[in-house]
Amino acid sequence: MDSLYLLLLFALTSVALVAVGARVLGLRATSLRGALARVLELSGFTVLLTVVNVAAGFLLVLALRFLTGTFVSLYLNTDAMLVLMSVLQAAALQWWIASRDGDDG
Amino acid sequence: MRASARVVGGGALLLVALVAFTPIAETLHGGVEPPALSPADAIVVLGSGVMPEGELTDNSLRRTVHGIRLFRQGLAPRIVLLGPAYHGAVEAEVRARYAADLGVPVAAVLVEPEGISTRDEAERVLARLGGRRGPSIILVTGLQHMARARRVFEREGMTVAAAPVLEDSLRPQKPQARLALARAIVQEAIARAYYRMAGAS
Repeated sequence: MDSLYLLLLFALTSVALVAVGARVLGLRATSLRGALARVLELSGFTVLLTVVNVAAGFLLVLALRFLTGTFVSLYLNTDAMLVLMSVLQAAALQWWIASRDGDDG
Repeated sequence: MRASARVVGGGALLLVALVAFTPIAETLHGGVEPPALSPADAIVVLGSGVMPEGELTDNSLRRTVHGIRLFRQGLAPRIVLLGPAYHGAVEAEVRARYAADLGVPVAAVLVEPEGISTRDEAERVLARLGGRRGPSIILVTGLQHMARARRVFEREGMTVAAAPVLEDSLRPQKPQARLALARAIVQEAIARAYYRMAGAS
């Protein structure tokens, strides 16, 4: 029930967003496909950078343990905030690549 | 590169949607059976955190209460309470105060706050329980952590009976809780792989 509710809410606001975009902001419906592709792109870069961040954090903790002889928890690298920070890195990378490709909107 | 990112991104979003909106994490876990416990030399309660204010975290409290219940059932003459210092509060000591308040004799409680990993804790518990002869223990920790912890303690020569504590519902109904369960499963799988590579289990 909770899942259905959230999916329904998401569907309703998405439909409303498309309507507002097309009618109020004057956006072309055909460009929506490109926007969705960019969302997939951002998700992909986020996955990649999250893996990189977690792996680097893992190595950093092991190095700190070795160098300082004190306990540093590996679980520091499992904080959900790291995913959000990876989203920021991914967005920056995405726009950087887009500007190289002459696709910076 | 952008095309590859789109494929990975699409796959990741699909996976997140499957985990969040279907019972796939519940299916992956496979559930838990209540353990049949027999008397042992000690009950060993692994740590799970304490707040800076000196109060146990939810999971730590669950484990502590479970360990005390087993002690009160007469399953062992001693209870080893673990948990290091976080932000000035020492988890094992807070747990010992709970145990005393709930009627566990002070002489039956062993406080071990120095362990810095499950492996290190296993070595310290063995030393506290008398060294070379492999003692039998009832191990209390979270359900997700139990398989790895059990192997680590057995590797130290202890005979281990598992008394896992359910810390997250295995039948979550909300997407966020399903994601949390999946995260716990994946996190523990990575930890097991790491321990295997490091030769600790």
